[in-house]
Amino acid sequence: MTVPTSSGTAASVPALSVSGLTVRYGRAGKVPPAVDGVSFDVAPGETLGLVGESGSGKSTIGKAILGLQRPAAGRVLLHGADITRASLRQRRVAAIDLRVVFQDPYSSLNPAQTIGQTLQEPLRVLRVPKDKRWRRVADGLAAVGLPADAAGRYPAQFSGGQRQRIAIARALVCEPQVIVLDEPVSSLDLSTQAQVLNLLADLRGRHQLALLFIAHDLSVVRFLAQRVVVLYRGQVMEAGLVEDVTQRPGHPYTIALTAAAPVPQPAAQARRRAAREALGIAAAGAAPPPAAGCPFAARCPLATDVCRAERPPLVTGDDGADGTGSAVACHHSGQARGLRLPAGTA
Amino acid sequence: MTAPSLTPPLNLAGGPPAAGRGRPRLRAGGALSAAWLVILLLASLTAPLWEPYPVDDQDSLHTLAGPSGSHWLGTDELGRDVLTRIAAGGWISVGPGLLAVVVAFGIGIPLALTAAEHGRWVERGSSRFAELLLALPSMIILLAFVGAVGVHMWAIMTVLGVLLSAPVYRIFLGQAQSVRTLLYVDAARVNGVSSLRVNLRHVLPAMATTIAVQAAQLFAIGVLIEAGLAFMGFGPKVPTPSWGGLIADASQNVYTDPWLMVPTGLVLALTVIAANVLADSVQTGTGRAGPGQAGLGQAGRAGRAPSAAAVTASAPPDPDPLLDVRDLTVAVAGGPGLVTGVSFSMRRGTVLGLVGESGCGKTMTARALPGLLPEGVQVAGGSVWFAGRDLAGLPEKELRAIRGRDIAMISQEPMVALDPVFSIGYQLTQPIRRFRGVGQHGVDGHRVGRAEARRIAAGLLAQVGITNPRRVLRSYPHQLSGGMAQRVCIALALTGSPRLLIADEPTTALDVTVQAEILSLLRSLVRDTGLSVLIVSHDLGVIADLCDDVAVMYAGQVVESGTVAAVLGQPSHPYTAALLGANPHVSEGLPVPGRLPSIPGTVPAPADWPAGCRFAGRCALATAACADPVPATRAHGGGRVRCIHPLSPWPEPNQADGLPVPRPVEPGVTS
Amino acid sequence: MLTYLARRLAFAVATVLAASVASFLLVHASGGSPGAITAGAGATPAQVAAANRQLGWDQPLVTQYLTWLGHAARGNLGSSLIDGHAIWPDLISRLPVTASIAVFATVLSGLLGVLIGVAAAIRGSWLDRVVTAGSGVALSLPQFWIGILLVYLVAIKGHLLPATGYVTFSASPGQYLQSLALPVITLAITGTAIIARTTRTGMITALRQEHVRTLHALGTPPWRIRYVHALRSAGGPVASVLGIQFIALFGGSVVIEQLFALPGLGQAASNAIGNTDFPAVQGVVVIATVVVVITNLVLDLVLAALDPKVRTA
Repeated sequence: MTVPTSSGTAASVPALSVSGLTVRYGRAGKVPPAVDGVSFDVAPGETLGLVGESGSGKSTIGKAILGLQRPAAGRVLLHGADITRASLRQRRVAAIDLRVVFQDPYSSLNPAQTIGQTLQEPLRVLRVPKDKRWRRVADGLAAVGLPADAAGRYPAQFSGGQRQRIAIARALVCEPQVIVLDEPVSSLDLSTQAQVLNLLADLRGRHQLALLFIAHDLSVVRFLAQRVVVLYRGQVMEAGLVEDVTQRPGHPYTIALTAAAPVPQPAAQARRRAAREALGIAAAGAAPPPAAGCPFAARCPLATDVCRAERPPLVTGDDGADGTGSAVACHHSGQARGLRLPAGTA
Repeated sequence: MTAPSLTPPLNLAGGPPAAGRGRPRLRAGGALSAAWLVILLLASLTAPLWEPYPVDDQDSLHTLAGPSGSHWLGTDELGRDVLTRIAAGGWISVGPGLLAVVVAFGIGIPLALTAAEHGRWVERGSSRFAELLLALPSMIILLAFVGAVGVHMWAIMTVLGVLLSAPVYRIFLGQAQSVRTLLYVDAARVNGVSSLRVNLRHVLPAMATTIAVQAAQLFAIGVLIEAGLAFMGFGPKVPTPSWGGLIADASQNVYTDPWLMVPTGLVLALTVIAANVLADSVQTGTGRAGPGQAGLGQAGRAGRAPSAAAVTASAPPDPDPLLDVRDLTVAVAGGPGLVTGVSFSMRRGTVLGLVGESGCGKTMTARALPGLLPEGVQVAGGSVWFAGRDLAGLPEKELRAIRGRDIAMISQEPMVALDPVFSIGYQLTQPIRRFRGVGQHGVDGHRVGRAEARRIAAGLLAQVGITNPRRVLRSYPHQLSGGMAQRVCIALALTGSPRLLIADEPTTALDVTVQAEILSLLRSLVRDTGLSVLIVSHDLGVIADLCDDVAVMYAGQVVESGTVAAVLGQPSHPYTAALLGANPHVSEGLPVPGRLPSIPGTVPAPADWPAGCRFAGRCALATAACADPVPATRAHGGGRVRCIHPLSPWPEPNQADGLPVPRPVEPGVTS
Repeated sequence: MLTYLARRLAFAVATVLAASVASFLLVHASGGSPGAITAGAGATPAQVAAANRQLGWDQPLVTQYLTWLGHAARGNLGSSLIDGHAIWPDLISRLPVTASIAVFATVLSGLLGVLIGVAAAIRGSWLDRVVTAGSGVALSLPQFWIGILLVYLVAIKGHLLPATGYVTFSASPGQYLQSLALPVITLAITGTAIIARTTRTGMITALRQEHVRTLHALGTPPWRIRYVHALRSAGGPVASVLGIQFIALFGGSVVIEQLFALPGLGQAASNAIGNTDFPAVQGVVVIATVVVVITNLVLDLVLAALDPKVRTA
């Protein structure tokens, strides 16, 4: 395992690169892999959204990148250096600047430690000298909008939104270049979510951070990310610029996902509902996914025999009349476009 | 598959470790117990310095005497002073017990931490070994050890410690595994914290209370086992007194001097009790919340607090609204209000949404209606008119008759809402037979048999969209997916053919595509059966999809209510507008904003609610007049709003997205 | 389910073997030798060595163990060094004594404990406090101390029950029960305390579960919630502790048997160890382990039957 080097031409080397990642829980053959051949890149300073529902494997991908879960196959490169099999100890030794923010603000901070102790723990690992440590802790707290005296208090004294800010500060104090965020706003109220999203947008801009943003909500991803990858049952269904994928989805699953999210305007929502029901996408629990082929075949209105037999490759669509440039894994991607909700209902 | 969770016989380890606030603290009982133990040990170790008589000093003139001035605890059969012997025997009777604990923890805890960290194979191996140790008959093994090496108390207790390390391992393995699922452990690992430090600073502290409790229990076991061995004659050699030996002596003389039994037994008991109290005072454990949860709802009803201006003294209102809540106040018993002056009503066959963020009181409001508030929370004022009766004043017995039959409820986590040890079929048929049996809703008045109940249950499952009802009836909750489980919960709610279904965040824990299905199901139930639904949610999109009317709540009050079209399309209250603005969904054709409009500050806690508008502190339009109590007035859309300068509708509503733009109104002008 | 059973069975056998190896090693580590006992107190070293050779003591350890194992598998546990009686029949005849005490005490503690625990959990307030405090005290007093007190008060002063001795069931059922009464009551005091606590905690935990809220929302009558659903949930931990109780009583009856002069396995154990009667020590360890292991197996099956996740796997 090589030590990551700072690349001269930052633009050419992706900050984070995942190729052919496969992760299994349990023995091969017994259960399908949680992550099955997923590939994507995150450029320096870019935010990539990983979107999917439960069982999509998005959190598992995050864990595999962070070293919490061993991949069965595939590679993970950080600034070009292969960290796929690097254990946590090896990562520590190489001082990998990959940090994390988790979903649940209530269990991501140790209740028995003060905020200050929590924030300076990673700095101690990096062997930052003591005086500099407290300086960075104070700076980190300021960057997320919390007062410096928060360092002496315990997590129980803070609200959910504030705790998430502290978790973000914990990631920032190490001055990383890449942060993996695993559903960081899913547990927060709407107004708190907006505050934290704004904070992330600011920090990303100020520090040129590459963010891997794992979420289940496409509209949140649309706000924060430049590109997005849509996952279903461990496989990539669609990937591309966030505008393309969310506004002009090319895969039936993406269409289903966008159609299912309700909007707070009753008349518009009623039209969306009618259009969604006209799609004819089968219920989630209705039938088990086929053993081979496209995992969405059991629910897709366009499914044919080839879909159940052969796994569709991820193919970049041509820039047709509707301007879709995203990559889609579907045997019938042309037809899929026709499923899209009519204009005026999105 | 693991063997049964074997625990040392004295107590159950508590459940997952409690996330305490900072460090564990000591309480009064704990301090006393600690004092007793310290004094005991000190007295024993320093006995030669202060004992009134030498340990072996025999006084043949005063044998088997009771307590007296010269012998505070009497004398034994050889005239030796009991107090002296008890004190002298303290260390040898208690110390080895401590040793057993140290050995047991010293082996068990590191093994447990390692097994929890390194997963499957290490865990299997250690667990098998632990089970082996647990299966050995401990007393007999100890005796065999005595037979082999003779009576060396310290060695024997070391062996006991080894035997006890097995249950210690078992308990702490479970705890450590549970702690390691907490995200802060993962965060530390990702940050490169060494494995040793993760265990010392993150995993162990979380288990602190369990460690204390188990230490006390093992100590008790050790002390009592040693006393037993000493009693049988396998204790310390003759000149050294030990408490067990003293009891043996006392038992031989029980006919002539029963008093001897008392101090010898009591000192043992007090020491063990002291250890347990000390450990209990450190833990935050299985305390009670009051009378058993069988009284759930009783505490919620226990006497309505004398309410402030009750608007409800009049006769029941117009029976057309199915549900009419007036001025409802819910408060912690003897504490601040959680919900104040909430009013709304529902017509038959409609869906009303209660929307707001966490802490706004929407869940408390919903639970107050059928009287299902948690312990310590009660209805403190107002009325809940349902089908001509005020539910707020009804005793528990009558409320029970209404629950399920007229008002049903489903909640957020369908997987845990079902009893894991009974099949779905059982859980459905039981209420069916109860509701549709003799003299109840049953039309013919006949008892519903098991087969018929199953048939009805299958029908209900089909009605909620389950494609294979027979198979689901045979299944258990853990075999269902989240969406299916929620459908089952809805079917369960329908067993009594209720008129009103209260749904407390029913789709929050579900995927968005599954959520869409459940909402469709609820909508079709409303349309086809005339069911009315009160849905609580924080998601405005859900409200827009399903509801006819909506009430927006903030800090325990309804700040705006009306039809969804009016409230969400043209909100009157600044909070509603801000909430809509904070929603990241952007409609087609509009650019994604660089920043989401967000509301500064946080929701105030109930204790800090001001007398005036509770949103004023965060509102861009607040003025000095907002500090006075704000009444609910008519809103421009036909609903009600609690604001003295509500937003006015903009001239051309934008049909594409209806996204409102808050536009300040002249202060003092109401529409 | 079947593989589960097979695995547990295999493990049970392994446990018994392990226990026999452990006691075998302990016996050999003791420094004494059987020859010294059979040859008598005043024997010369040569006579002791000769006796040892006759008993096979000079053979390699593994051979000795395997020989013993071979015999044991056929039901022959050798003879006592002290009086030559055959060990297996002796232990088998003692088994019912210890088993009687253990079974009765467990059943009694189970019944009383569950009743008291449920009442404390449901009624709460003063009853709960009394039960918690009372069980705390009961668990802090040594069992033999309680036993002596009971003997003094009931047998000596009260003349209600015999203090010591054992009468077999076949000889006289009435006297059998009487002879067991005091030891069983003594053991049941501690046992009831443990079961009561476990039941109380289990019930309280069960009543706090989310699915109990669902039952309330359906208007389910309280008795059904408590005694059908909550008690069932609490059943697992209670069954566990009952099993442990039984095992503890079996393995720990040594003191009680000495106190009440009951000819059970415990008495055999303390005699054998006191007399350094090696084959007897080996035999009693094995028999006791077999009983414990069988109990564990039964307990595992009961718990597996109670847990739908195992049943449906």
